[in-house]
Amino acid sequence: MHTSIDGLDALILNRMQGDFPICEDPYADIGLALGVSGQEVLLRVRGLVDRGVVRKVGPFFDARKMQYVSTLCALHVPEKRLEEVAAVISAYPEVTHNYLRAGTPNLWFTVIAESKAAIQKIIREIEEKGGAGPVRDLPAKKMFKVKVDLKVGE
Amino acid sequence: MEKRDIELVRALQNEEIFLTERPFHEAARMLGWTVEEVLERVRGLKEAGVIRRFGAALTPRNAGFKSNSMIAWDVPDLRAEEAGSLMAEHPRVSHCYIRPRFEGFPFNIYTMVHGNSPEDLARIVDELAALAASSSYRALHSLREFKKSSPVYYPKALEPQDA
Repeated sequence: MHTSIDGLDALILNRMQGDFPICEDPYADIGLALGVSGQEVLLRVRGLVDRGVVRKVGPFFDARKMQYVSTLCALHVPEKRLEEVAAVISAYPEVTHNYLRAGTPNLWFTVIAESKAAIQKIIREIEEKGGAGPVRDLPAKKMFKVKVDLKVGE
Repeated sequence: MEKRDIELVRALQNEEIFLTERPFHEAARMLGWTVEEVLERVRGLKEAGVIRRFGAALTPRNAGFKSNSMIAWDVPDLRAEEAGSLMAEHPRVSHCYIRPRFEGFPFNIYTMVHGNSPEDLARIVDELAALAASSSYRALHSLREFKKSSPVYYPKALEPQDA
């Protein structure tokens, strides 16, 4: 457990990962359930954001329900070209994650766009501009779970 | 999506409003709607599954999960659905997908796994191996993060301008 997360922080986190109340005073609502004021909850949440524990509060959309298409891509880039190729990839707003990972292939990134054609176009451009060989396009055939809901303090 | 819903989705992507006392009032102000209209439509989008979840997202490593990895598993296709649904139920798995195999990479199920320590991660991987009935996997530990961001839906620049 992270030293800067106390008992109340953990209670707030475990509650807020699951469900943020959709009402006029959501923080007062959470506070009521935890026996503290809404202002106290909001202060704690802001603190958790400042310390980088909470990355975002808000809605998480189902891309597919909005007719967006996403995929995971992988390619292998030699070490000395890594910076350059990674920068080409990260420059696309449609690329949301881009990581160097152990093994071969070593560069893994996600693309989300309004159509399969738009994704194919980006992949082709990356292949041309990156010049690091073919990009593997690995769209999910089945999605079982996409939810970071980790119990904190257990 | 209807134009009104697109406007709402855009307003809700202003993450700073959720760090104020009354976020939906802020959204209403931005949209020129009443707060009742915002709440009703947000509930509608949640019911329709367009909003799959409302809440806080952690950065696992800053929340005490120091050892995180993407683990790709090789499970025979006939058993992949069953194995995937079992692994997805593990509380330390946040993402689980079946993806195509490719040349030199025979792995077809991808899991994001979160542990408190390397030992904890190894224990979870053992548990997943038992659930998947497969000991063939590759740990794709991240060595460097080049980018991590939230997708932006309906960016305003793409909207055709009224003449």
